[in-house]
Amino acid sequence: MTLSVWRYAHLALAVVSSLFLLILSVTGVILAVGAVNEKAQPYRADNVGSVTLAQSLPVLSGVFPEITTLTVDHNRFVSIEGTDRDGNPINAYINPVNGAILGDVKPQSDFIQWNIALHRSLFLKETGRIIIGLVSFLLLLITLTGIVLIAKRQQGLRHFFARINKDFFSQYFHVVSGRLFLVPVLMLALTGTYLFMVRLGLTEAGSRPVSHTATAGAAPKAPADFPVFRNTRLTEVEKIEFPFMPDDPEEFYIVKLKDRELAVNQITGEVVQETRYPYSLVLEKLSLNLHTGRTSSVWAIILAFASLNILLFIYTGFDMTFRRSKTKIRNRHTADTAEYVVLAGSENGSTLAFAHQVHQQLLALGYTSFLTEMNRFTHFPEARHFLIFSSTYGLGTAPANAGNFEKLIAKFPHSQKVNYSVVGFGSKAYPDFCAYARHIDKELAGQPWASRYLDLHTVNDRSAEELTAWVKAWSEKSQCALATTPALYTTRVTGLKKFKVIEKTQVTEDNATFRVVLQPERRNPFRSGDLLAVYPANDGRERLYSIGKRDGNIQLMVKLHPGGLGSEFLYALEEGNRVAARIAVNKSFHFPVKAPAVVMIANGTGIAPFLGMISENRKRVPLSLYAGFRHNNALSHQYRSFADEEIAAGRLQRFETAFSREENACYVMDLICRDAAFFAGLLKNKGTIMICGSLAMQKDVEAVLNTLCMEKNGRGLHFYKEQGQVLSDCY
Amino acid sequence: MKKILAFALFIGTLSASAQTARYKCMIQMNSYKGEPAYVVISLVNPQGGYEKTLSVLGPDKKWHNTLKEWHKFETKAKTQLNAITGASVNGGDRAMRTLEIDESKLNKGYKLRFESAVEEQKYYVKDVEIDVTPEALAERAEGTGYIRFVKLSKVQ
Repeated sequence: MTLSVWRYAHLALAVVSSLFLLILSVTGVILAVGAVNEKAQPYRADNVGSVTLAQSLPVLSGVFPEITTLTVDHNRFVSIEGTDRDGNPINAYINPVNGAILGDVKPQSDFIQWNIALHRSLFLKETGRIIIGLVSFLLLLITLTGIVLIAKRQQGLRHFFARINKDFFSQYFHVVSGRLFLVPVLMLALTGTYLFMVRLGLTEAGSRPVSHTATAGAAPKAPADFPVFRNTRLTEVEKIEFPFMPDDPEEFYIVKLKDRELAVNQITGEVVQETRYPYSLVLEKLSLNLHTGRTSSVWAIILAFASLNILLFIYTGFDMTFRRSKTKIRNRHTADTAEYVVLAGSENGSTLAFAHQVHQQLLALGYTSFLTEMNRFTHFPEARHFLIFSSTYGLGTAPANAGNFEKLIAKFPHSQKVNYSVVGFGSKAYPDFCAYARHIDKELAGQPWASRYLDLHTVNDRSAEELTAWVKAWSEKSQCALATTPALYTTRVTGLKKFKVIEKTQVTEDNATFRVVLQPERRNPFRSGDLLAVYPANDGRERLYSIGKRDGNIQLMVKLHPGGLGSEFLYALEEGNRVAARIAVNKSFHFPVKAPAVVMIANGTGIAPFLGMISENRKRVPLSLYAGFRHNNALSHQYRSFADEEIAAGRLQRFETAFSREENACYVMDLICRDAAFFAGLLKNKGTIMICGSLAMQKDVEAVLNTLCMEKNGRGLHFYKEQGQVLSDCY
Repeated sequence: MKKILAFALFIGTLSASAQTARYKCMIQMNSYKGEPAYVVISLVNPQGGYEKTLSVLGPDKKWHNTLKEWHKFETKAKTQLNAITGASVNGGDRAMRTLEIDESKLNKGYKLRFESAVEEQKYYVKDVEIDVTPEALAERAEGTGYIRFVKLSKVQ
């Protein structure tokens, strides 16, 4: 698959750094939590913000006979080192206003220290630091390539925060949280890289001393009167080193502020020397603050989530990659010999999976089919059919491997006539649903050698049902017997729910149909006509059964086929067993809301959804059920007695049966012909016909209905189909 | 017998505390580039052997082996270091410690040794050495490695 350079870069960088990023993000989360925890300690004095040195230092000197150092840390905790009245060394957090001791200064816990060491150097000292630094830099590049990828996906920065379509969890999460945590992750990477550069000494810049000339013979002052102490708030200070020996004019107060260092004469209070820190040092402190979140709990929490998110990025990113690489193209035939050319335009591989499925079937049926990406379009000398499956990327543009398709069709005109059919994949959540497929459909129509075989079909949210509609249409026209079970085209199984078997009947010699009643274990809304998808082999192979809803339970009518995957699976169930399955909403086959009258036509097990709909017919809409079976056996007797009850209850008006393998063989079509006037009248008066059963039956029934409609109403069945008066669910 | 022993111990501690002098000690570091330095202050006997560890600047035991000579002594002596251990010192910073020196060691050829090490950089066994004499202890001692100078001041 052609992936853009950016995506390759993004992936390659991630592969190289993922293991280290894993360590860094795990320890990062721990350290961020540690930082928040540290800030929560009760060592901050209330009014520390407004206190000046002139106010605080004399008080402290009064309480502690000796102070060597005063430190104001990033949490605004003030601590001193010195000795207390008893001459014992002291290193404690204090209240700078009254000198009260708030708690001892303790080194960070071993656990936090261990995490810091791992986070900074992987316990490998300098080597480890270099690795970490490079990984930070790689993370920076990953973030930047990620921004480019989002911008490309969203068609420019203007749409950067536009909606993102959800193909599957990993893709959605990766992109959405990528945008959300863009800034914190970028910050982590940037500051991490900068701190690494500082460590390597790449940011060398000297301090700039600013000299102050001492006034000769200046009068001695008390520290409370030092102008510099009066003008400096405690919060501006990082550290004060007290004179080592009192009364010695060569010993100074060293006051370290955020951006400079002052030496203050301890007798006169004059600033003797001022040293401005280089910008690199100020930047280093800022980087450290931003990287650790040690100055702001809120930022620390954001960083914790960003770190956590990096873990999830790693997982979802690789998940996406594995999904993309799952559908590999393998061809048995070459471009030169293929009659059927399946072209796929796919962004993340799911459209390719559909195309692959069709391609495999064509091969299985013995056709020379060739599957390729749209960007590999070339001259196909033997081609008769182009089957084009294309998704749409972002806002209506070509997916990753179809960008050159337009140019290529102009570049490779074909001498023979080629039929083409385009299937567009997309999501109606986007405004430009299948816009690219529409576009290429038109483009191809403009080529003299190409002839549109079928109108554009669109598939919303990977609906296997919608794809089968195309499969049916195409295989009918081309006489290729492609399978039309939606199951085959379903790519993945999600939303499985548990159901409990509460009833299952046995088959007998003359009756191969059995009934299964399933009870949903959780509230799980469904209606008669919806489909129950079961996965007998747990391998993505799906079998669908029409649901009849009876007393809130799911009733299935299943014909046991020897060797049948689904029917044997269901037949093997016993009462009390639990089974995982998915309910697929089948809106197009729900009981009509407004129809004045409804006729239901079924053959065999196709009767299942109708059984539910009839018993749910509380409004007593005039209902007729036409059903065809092979034999008049115990089962059909059951249906008959069920129908009689419903007729008595007024929920059903008539039940007509046809038996094809009995004396006086008869099909439902014969019944319809017999009641032609009734059917014509029903359709004319906005009534609805619902058909469920085999495709062959559906075809025949529709043909009969079409003829009688033309005769009696002067309109083909097509008209009523468009009005939504003919609903079908056949297989 | 036991009583006599206890009495002797009592006298012993009494006399020991009476003979201990406290010194305030300031270590001023050079502005070198790199990780914070680990510094150990020990009392060295006239034969040049380690006698006692007075102070450790560097909390993480993992890196104590970078101070090779002292570490050899310490692995055997197994001093309780917790009470005398504190933070390591950054380049350009100063550190303050209080040292307890047995006055009986004065003028007997003993020395105070400051040895220092910085991760991935040179190790100085004798960054500073000060004779344990009243005169030497009152003077500023220049360093030869990461330490710029050391100053001591007797606590009254």
